[in-house]
Amino acid sequence: MNATIWSLSAIVAVAAVTFLLGYVGSRKANTTPDFLVARRAIPATRNAAAISGEYLSAASFLSVAGLVLKDGVDALWYPVGFTAGYLALLLFVAAPLRRSGAYTLPDFSEARLGSVHVRHVSTFFVVCIGLLYLVPQLQSAGLTLTTITGLDAWLGGLIVTVIVVINVLGGGMRAITLVQAFQYWGKLFAIAAPTFVLFVVFLASPDRGTQPISDDGVVRFPQAEKVTVAEQPVKVRVDEPLTLRVRGTIDGRDANGPVFWGRGVYELKPGTVMEFTAGSPVPVVEGSPTTNRDWTHPQTGGLSELIGTYSLIFATFLGTMGLPHVLVRFYTNPDGKAARRTALHVLYLLGLFYLFPTVLGVLSRLHLPQLLVTGNTDAAVLMLPEAMVPNLGGQILGAVVAAGAFAAFLSTSSGLVVSVAGVVSTDIMPGKVRDFRWATVFTGLVAIALAFVLPRSNASLTVAMSFALAASTFCPLLVLGIWWRGLTWVGAVCGLVVGGGVVISAQVVSVVSTYTGRWAPAFITQPALITVPLAFATMIVVSKATRRRVPPDVNQILLRLHAPDPLGFIRDRDIARFGTAEEKARLADGKRSGADRTR
Amino acid sequence: MSSVDHTPSGSAPDAQKWVDVQASDDFAELKRRLTKFVFPVSGLFLAWYLLYVLLADYAHDFMSTKVVGNINVGLIFGLLQFVSTFVITTLYVRHANKNLDPLAEKLRGEIEGDGK
Repeated sequence: MNATIWSLSAIVAVAAVTFLLGYVGSRKANTTPDFLVARRAIPATRNAAAISGEYLSAASFLSVAGLVLKDGVDALWYPVGFTAGYLALLLFVAAPLRRSGAYTLPDFSEARLGSVHVRHVSTFFVVCIGLLYLVPQLQSAGLTLTTITGLDAWLGGLIVTVIVVINVLGGGMRAITLVQAFQYWGKLFAIAAPTFVLFVVFLASPDRGTQPISDDGVVRFPQAEKVTVAEQPVKVRVDEPLTLRVRGTIDGRDANGPVFWGRGVYELKPGTVMEFTAGSPVPVVEGSPTTNRDWTHPQTGGLSELIGTYSLIFATFLGTMGLPHVLVRFYTNPDGKAARRTALHVLYLLGLFYLFPTVLGVLSRLHLPQLLVTGNTDAAVLMLPEAMVPNLGGQILGAVVAAGAFAAFLSTSSGLVVSVAGVVSTDIMPGKVRDFRWATVFTGLVAIALAFVLPRSNASLTVAMSFALAASTFCPLLVLGIWWRGLTWVGAVCGLVVGGGVVISAQVVSVVSTYTGRWAPAFITQPALITVPLAFATMIVVSKATRRRVPPDVNQILLRLHAPDPLGFIRDRDIARFGTAEEKARLADGKRSGADRTR
Repeated sequence: MSSVDHTPSGSAPDAQKWVDVQASDDFAELKRRLTKFVFPVSGLFLAWYLLYVLLADYAHDFMSTKVVGNINVGLIFGLLQFVSTFVITTLYVRHANKNLDPLAEKLRGEIEGDGK
């Protein structure tokens, strides 16, 4: 009960600070020029911290540790990919996109290809990616609140949505660099401090109630444990026979009392309660390694796991460049040199951050094996402090972690809601301030509805799906748009629809499969390996077929994208004006006749 | 497909300047230097990632070759994945600062010299 109070006060404090910073921030610099000019004076290190602050979401904060607990070394592909994606962004798109002067992906696509159709399709996918990315944030907020207070999961998601929407409506939580930079250091502290303390605890008492992890056998419960299956049915795999007490439903049959489980897979209905004795082997949720040997070795799942990992690498490596909220922030650097320096710092900061969830994930394997039964491993970071230090210190550490997690949900969700609502209000509605407010409310409502409907899995998996969507839509659009003059708007639209359509269908199929017994193969839950080349191929083939539609001023645009900054082609007024079809028409026209045509 | 169709007749000074820049050898060289770095490096980078996964899957014996004490090839390669991300980023930043920026400065000097 004490722990609950500590954690709740920490969360309330985070929410209050967020409100306050948003309020103060909204009264200060709020116009676009202010925002831009201010940005020009900001050192690359702080800008990098701001980018990292917005990027480190629930997936990073909770789910990486959870996946390390469950899947071991293979889970490290998530942090590697999340970090490496920045490198791809830096190499391929960062500088040219910033020179284009466009501030959003739909802006860029219209400016490059001179078609409103491609703008509309881009808008649609920006909204899809934003919403898909919001869902795991809200679901993890629910999980955090459930873990701390035992309240229903939907309440946490609702609270975060309400806070974010009110904050965005009030003009707060604008992309103020200082706030976001503060968020990064806040999150780093919230995960680093507990990691250091818990690691010292671990070193000081290496075998207190646990077993050595180097043992190649199965994981065992250090003490007697009672485990309850949450909202969704789970399948667990048993590798070593055990006896336990069960009250609930196993494989469709009711059970109440002692049960013997031999080797095999068992399906448990929600609400089933299991009581394990100390030292009995831990049944592990299906699909994850059951023995410590497999856990410490990469790639033990054969071909399907190979494909899954390849897909994940493709999705995270190529998807980062298509995330709307990351892009907006990324290229508001003063020049190419600063952009490169910022990217380097972002890599350092992300690399530094990801050390800590990894350590926490390994420690949870020793202390929280019960999470392996339900697969609810995202809760590991939240539960670990109290499990390892069962006194006031542990409670305070737990509160710090909970507050950090909440900060992660709030900052990422706010950034997403702002970018999605911005796109919706300018591209779908007339673009007045009131429209932005309606768009914000609308975004919040859709996101929370989706968060209830979609099954809750590890946040990283859902996040990986939005990376896959970004990699299959905007990655080809950006890479081909920047590096290949042959791209036409017809090709771009076809590529976006095919790539995005297949990913979304795969997502629907995998959701259905989750509710009906998890039958979907790996390439459906992780489709990027197929969909990214498919989208590239579609764009290239259709563009070749519609060669006549290559914009007449393509050379000018490409020159603009590739001319290095010191050439001075980019000035402030260009940034403000370049980007609309009219402007381009005027430019091309002016080149031919010298006349200054306006619409 | 080429700028020849719309050769400007000295109308807008900006447009003229752009065409000059585009036609210049220095600009071609600049673009060549950039593409020659970016594409091979990212290809290598991705290949190296994919190779690691492949080795982990199908070359268990090679990956578990012990080098020093408990440290095996797989572990070293795994850590190198992280290291290579940083190395490539640092290389790119250095390449850009050393080979791209001076050329761009030179281009700029030439244009501004006879342009304005």
